[in-house]
This record gives sequence, structure tokens and C-alpha cells, in this order.
Amino acid sequence: MPKPECEEALDRLFEYIDHELPEDEIHRIGEHLRECPPCEAEHRINEKIKRIVNRAGHDVAPDELRDRILTTIRATRPDVGA
Amino acid sequence: MTDTTDFDFEAEALSYMDQLYGAALRMTRNGADAEDLVQETFAKAFAAQDKFTPGTNLKAWLYRIQTNAFINSYRKKQREPKRSDAETVEDWQLAAAAEHTSAGLASAEDRALDSIGDDEVKRALSELSDDFRMAVYLSDVEGFAYKEIAQIMDTPVGTVMSRLHRGRKLLREKLRDYAAERGLYEKAPVKKDKDGGTCRA
Repeated sequence: MPKPECEEALDRLFEYIDHELPEDEIHRIGEHLRECPPCEAEHRINEKIKRIVNRAGHDVAPDELRDRILTTIRATRPDVGA
Repeated sequence: MTDTTDFDFEAEALSYMDQLYGAALRMTRNGADAEDLVQETFAKAFAAQDKFTPGTNLKAWLYRIQTNAFINSYRKKQREPKRSDAETVEDWQLAAAAEHTSAGLASAEDRALDSIGDDEVKRALSELSDDFRMAVYLSDVEGFAYKEIAQIMDTPVGTVMSRLHRGRKLLREKLRDYAAERGLYEKAPVKKDKDGGTCRA
């Protein structure tokens, strides 16, 4: 049986990782994670997945798109034209 | 035009183009559609700029416009079957408890994640349903708070949390599968323990 502290930590794990918890819960869960290797392993894995998703996520808009958008804006706002 | 403030809507809005394009790529899963979607987003944003209150969250406002544009035009076009989001909070809480696995398995998974490449992450994300994919993207890539994601996706915070839990769980399973395919990780036989695993601390 998982202990109640384990259940709380696992239920709140994503909120903990996403910094969505109030101070007291962050503190309580953080303390549990330091004491409970299986919960800490879950924490580490989920945090790592968040990190690799972040790493894979950054894209740069193509120049043609930027030009197209700027042209459209300029066309609809004659007051900023040259 | 906005008066009395130094707020430069055009410059501020344009500074989010890369991010909106990245999100559009994840939404449409297609470069040409992503470009059209971003262009539509900016056209709508500039047309509605009087409705934006300087000092509030412009990035979230733009994402909201883009998400609506996606739902209204692209999702219909893609004819993707709309998936049910009727899952309850209890569902994912049970799922989370069941993830309490053995230390050996967890460290093997942890190590396998180190060799997961960006392409595999993108592929795994692209296989999630729109709602799960966007919730994960908005949180993990864009760093939006749950409340902001709720505004962008026009849904209660509880639904955002549920989508994040579901989406991340599925994503993790896919990454495990990829690692297993490459022989980096040996999947344990699925053993359903109604007590949800053991805590050995």
C-alpha cells in the first residue's frame, strides 16, 4: 500500500513540477520527495520529460511568413506607411 | 490607436511570432497550415487590437485568438474525430498512484530519456489528441500557468489539469515505446496492482 504521503505527492506531482502549489504544499511534498526514493524517481522522470518537451518545442517563423504578415499589417494601417 | 500609453501593440505582438508559429506547427502538424494559421491570427489580432487592454497578458490573448482560429477553421478541415474530454479528476489521480514503480525500472526509464531526441518528442506529441497536445505544449514549452491555459483553451482549470495529466501520461508511454524499440528500455509486463504499486521507502 502506498503511504498517504506518497499518494499526496503523486497526485500533486504535476502541480509541484509546474509551480502551481502554495508554499506549504511545496514544502511538504518536497520534504516527502527527499525521503521517498520511489516518489522522487517519479518526480525526476516527469520533470525530465517536461524538460525534453521544452527543448524540442522552439521553432522560428520562416522569413516569408514574417514578410507576409508585415505587408498585411502595413496595408491595413496606412498611417504607419512611409 | 491606443492613446496615453507608450504601449506599442504592433511591436509587442510581432515579438511573439516565433512562439505562435511553434504552437501553430504543433496544432496543425503541417508547415503550410501553420503559416496560414499564424497569418490569420495576426490579421485577427490587429483587427481586434482595440479590444486588448494594455497591461494585461498579450501573449495569452494572442494564443487565445490562435486557438480559436484553429478550432474554427483547421480542426474542421482536418476532419479529426473530436475526442471526448469527459475524464474526471479521479481518473488521473488513480493513474498517478499506479505509476509508483520499482526503483530499477524507474532508473532505466530515467536513463533511456536521456537519449530521446527532439524528433521523437515531436512525433510523440503529434500523436496526442489536439486538446492533450496543446495543454502539454502550452505548459511545457510556453510556460503558461494553468489559469492562463484555461483562458486560452476556454475551459475550466480542472479540465486543463486533467488534460495535462492524461497528455503527459500518454506522452510518457510513447517515449517508453520509442526507447524500447531502440532497445534502450525494457518494458515491464503490465501488472495491475489494485493498490497501485508499492512504496518502499
